Amino acid sequence: MSLLKTVGLRASYGQVDVLLGIDIDVSEGEMVVVLGANGAGKTTTMRAVSGTIARSGSVVFDGQEIVSQSAESIVRLGVAHVPQGRGTFSELTVEENLRIGAYIRKDSIESDIARWYETFPRLEERQNQRAGSLSGGEQQMLAIARALMSRPRLLLCDEPSLGLAPLVTQELFEVLKNLNEQDGLSVLLVEQNANLALKVASKVYLLETGQVVASGSAEAIAGDERIRKAYLGG
Amino acid sequence: MLKIKEGSLQHWAIRIVGFALLALLVIYIPTQSETARIGQFASAFTLIIAAMSLNMVLGFTGQISLGHSAFFGIGGYTAAILIRDHGWSPGYTFYAAAVIAFVVGCLIGLPVLRIRGAYLALVTLAVAVLFPTLLRWKKLEWLTDGAKGIDSVKYDDLPVWPILGELKGRDGRAVFSYWLGLLVLVIVYLVCRGLIRSRVGRSLIAIRDNETAAAVMGVNVTRTKVLIFGISASMCALAGVLATLNSGVVTPDGQFVTLLGSIIFLLIMVVGGAGTLSGPIIGGLVYVWLDNTTRGIGTDSSGVLGFVFGWTDQSPATLILGLALIVIMLFAPTGLMGLLRKLTRRIMTIIPRDISPTQ
Ligand SMILES: Nc1ncnc2c1ncn2[C@@H]1O[C@H](COP(=O)(O)OP(=O)(O)OP(=O)(O)O)[C@@H](O)[C@H]1O
Ligand SMILES: [Mg+2]
Repeated sequence: MSLLKTVGLRASYGQVDVLLGIDIDVSEGEMVVVLGANGAGKTTTMRAVSGTIARSGSVVFDGQEIVSQSAESIVRLGVAHVPQGRGTFSELTVEENLRIGAYIRKDSIESDIARWYETFPRLEERQNQRAGSLSGGEQQMLAIARALMSRPRLLLCDEPSLGLAPLVTQELFEVLKNLNEQDGLSVLLVEQNANLALKVASKVYLLETGQVVASGSAEAIAGDERIRKAYLGG
Repeated sequence: MLKIKEGSLQHWAIRIVGFALLALLVIYIPTQSETARIGQFASAFTLIIAAMSLNMVLGFTGQISLGHSAFFGIGGYTAAILIRDHGWSPGYTFYAAAVIAFVVGCLIGLPVLRIRGAYLALVTLAVAVLFPTLLRWKKLEWLTDGAKGIDSVKYDDLPVWPILGELKGRDGRAVFSYWLGLLVLVIVYLVCRGLIRSRVGRSLIAIRDNETAAAVMGVNVTRTKVLIFGISASMCALAGVLATLNSGVVTPDGQFVTLLGSIIFLLIMVVGGAGTLSGPIIGGLVYVWLDNTTRGIGTDSSGVLGFVFGWTDQSPATLILGLALIVIMLFAPTGLMGLLRKLTRRIMTIIPRDISPTQ
């Protein structure tokens, strides 16, 4: 069943049209990756889904049209956004960042905090430290853990590997894969590292200047000689 | 260097000793000082409250406001008008001023807080500039008495507080202002502290750090900003009420009712330490102390200072005050509170309580 479906999704910054009608479909429990060159509009697509930019067209989440809803109501429906460049709150401590991740929840969140500390032990060691004093990799872990605190059904993850050591990236993808396979979390992932992304994702969208130029299963895309040459670097 | 665990016996001992010293000082001042000194503290309290209110908006939420002098003025005029024209007892005017300023603050905040940075500074500056003009406006003269202002509270109108004994004349008025100011200050401080340490406080700091990320967490950014602006405005109005009760007059040229007031609140907040709960307290005390010590310089032309500043018959106080503030900011860019923290960290560190969740 389709959890997220965008049809003719458009967005612009001022006069400049950036998304020219994007159609993306994420099924329940699926991990979908969006690939594309710098400036293709990947981040803008994520922002258009999470409601942090003005957009038009159609975005249906769980059967509900959300294209005109505000960011704060879209989180409440179960969409969590890990923005590009992390966006952790640098003046708050690690723990406070996690708590604000659960801002929309009224129930007890202690067991969630414990769970993400278990997944990311480095965060537990630094729980009282200012988020701004964490390393890049730690901040990325925090950003993901913070997003998960809202118990989302769909996680939008924008270039989690940006600026991370290969080993740390590997770890992060392991975590995402586990979440997807064991908890049934649906993930829409933007990633530059195509080879890594193709390993974990089931479906791929290829973006170019605000349009989807190719899409299909990960195997099909990975096997397509022309696409490999043109977009995935050999 | 000492390492002390939060919540341990030593930590409590330090807290209790510190609190006791503070309490002694607070009682010592109004009982042992001369009237002028007591009055200076009373006016410091009003400035501290105003700076605290600005701190909620600028220090914690990251929204600049140069319009707080208007809220100060709203408080001052509300008190004056209600007491003089409607015979209210001074105590109740606090509530009225807080409510009016809250409503006005939200009404101004609603359109204004959608803009950011330098534009927000400009628009709130316009509010500060317009406010005194509004007070002088002919059509409002029936309410505000125009340029002349309002003489409101008479000395013998002061309510009697049994614990303080009988307060009479100028001395009694100063002592009364002191305790009333301190009471309001403590209440405002506790409200700020409660807000900052709550879920609301986290969302304020989140907005300051990264507005988009805060929205993605589910924080209603606009509503939160407008509400905190309203709350801040009503706190600032309380300071205005105090000022009117202290001096008995309020005019459109009053220092804190004009743009200068906003700048002074801003200075106190920044010198004390923006985004810290106690910063405005330190900033306010230092500001009033500097203001009073520099005010005399240059007027009597003896000694070195007289030699340096004797050439002008205008008091160089403002200049010296400005220079002193620049020096403070050079040595303590994060404010005096930041400096204080750095110094105490050399002597001891407080290790936070382990707050890892137990399931
Ligand atoms: N805040 C902004 N204001 C104006 N133009 C913007 C803004 N953000 C992005 N753009 C433009 O929109 C286009 C798409 O940007 P977007 O950030 O979506 O690309 P991207 O695919 O995420 O690229 P990258 O891989 O570099 O992150 C770019 O041409 C960019 O210049
Ligand atoms: Mg991007």
